[in-house]
Amino acid sequence: MEEPPVREEEDGEEDEGALAKSPLQLTTEDVYDISYVVGRELMALGSDPRVTRLQFKIVRVMEMLEALVNEGSLAVEELRMERDNLKQEVEGLRRAGVSGSEVNLGPDKMVVDLTDPNRPRFTLQELRDVLQERNKLKSQLLLVQEELQCYRSGLLPPRETPGGRREKDAMVTMGNGEKEERTIMKKLFSFRSGKHT
Amino acid sequence: MECHHVLNTGRMRSSWTPLGPPVSQDRIITSFPKWYTPDACLQLKEHFHSQVSTACQHRNTGTAGLRLSKVVVVGDLYVGKTSLIHRLCKNVFDRDYKATIGVDFEIERFEIAGIPYSLQIWDTAGQEKFKCIASAYYRGAQVIITAFDLTDVQTLEHTKQWLQDVLRENEAGSCFIFLVGTKKDLLSGAACEQAEAEAVHLANEMQAEYWSVSAKTGENVKAFFSRVAALAFEQSVLQDLEKRPSTQSQVGDGDGDLIRIEVPKTQENKRPPGLGCC
Repeated sequence: MEEPPVREEEDGEEDEGALAKSPLQLTTEDVYDISYVVGRELMALGSDPRVTRLQFKIVRVMEMLEALVNEGSLAVEELRMERDNLKQEVEGLRRAGVSGSEVNLGPDKMVVDLTDPNRPRFTLQELRDVLQERNKLKSQLLLVQEELQCYRSGLLPPRETPGGRREKDAMVTMGNGEKEERTIMKKLFSFRSGKHT
Repeated sequence: MECHHVLNTGRMRSSWTPLGPPVSQDRIITSFPKWYTPDACLQLKEHFHSQVSTACQHRNTGTAGLRLSKVVVVGDLYVGKTSLIHRLCKNVFDRDYKATIGVDFEIERFEIAGIPYSLQIWDTAGQEKFKCIASAYYRGAQVIITAFDLTDVQTLEHTKQWLQDVLRENEAGSCFIFLVGTKKDLLSGAACEQAEAEAVHLANEMQAEYWSVSAKTGENVKAFFSRVAALAFEQSVLQDLEKRPSTQSQVGDGDGDLIRIEVPKTQENKRPPGLGCC
């Protein structure tokens, strides 16, 4: 009976250690320390049945606290491991990215290297338009080539010939030529214009 | 394009003046070109349709001579669609592969039974990424050529899908379909026969005419396109004869040169817009 005050003081310090902690930092050791202190104080209260009933409840609370702390520290440990794994993975991917390998961005995604002179940079519609214009120019070229061949082979009279009749013919030639060209162009691209215009 | 004014000004020669400059000798078709194999061919007859022959003799083929028939060539990448067309139109063969971007076209002029006739041959990209562009050019095809590599059976299997894609853009039954095995020079003997047998089988399923060709050696290329041109031409003339009011063709048949040659022009002008051939 002489000793308790001393021990109480000592325990009070120890006990303050565990009870002063942030709940998130409690370990199972801390829980045991707390239950030791609480148990001793209960015992000091004597054997009143009310104290005994309270003791059961406190034991139960301490068990619950122990389970929570256990579970919490397990979860923390798992999360820590996962974090470390992810860190490693990110590092690996970064290094792979730097060395030029493919980065997995998920489906339907593509990485474009902006320093690559051959990188894709035109849209589908732009390609369509360019092709259509190319085709148009090509058909015009073919027509002009044919007309040139006609002049060369003498099927058509030269345009700059003196003489009224010939000049008139040449004009007819030009007029009809333009008209005809339009209709052939229309024929060539009727399926396009039907769709878009 | 030059024929109208040439004809209208009376400058024409004693015979029909063809559209544009004269075509080269090897594009002149006088007798109906034969099939490659009777086991898979569109027509077994050996002569032009009698109505067509008559119309050609009387220079009474309406607008057919002014027409550009649309031919669409499809098939997997690297089977040699571009090579085939270049062999026909430029008589060259390039060993190096260069993927076609989107679409390209060539115009090849023929003279069939004395009438000028042109094929506009659309060369489409085989690469999947260009399909959405090339497919916009499928519409209005009179002839569909599905090409495959005789040495690669997978490309043959894919022709069905290619054909379906083109047919989707065209009226049912309005197109001549050809199945063409390329790179014939790479196969010989039994291997060739085996590949052809499989292709003929598929051609019958597709209701297509089968041909084996080599763009490298030129084997069958000219014969094949002559066949294509003749079939398309005959169909065009027959369609034109059907559309024409009989009285007008009578006038055209019996009268002098000037009236006769007016017929194509009248027809051309009467044709409602959008009913073009290609």
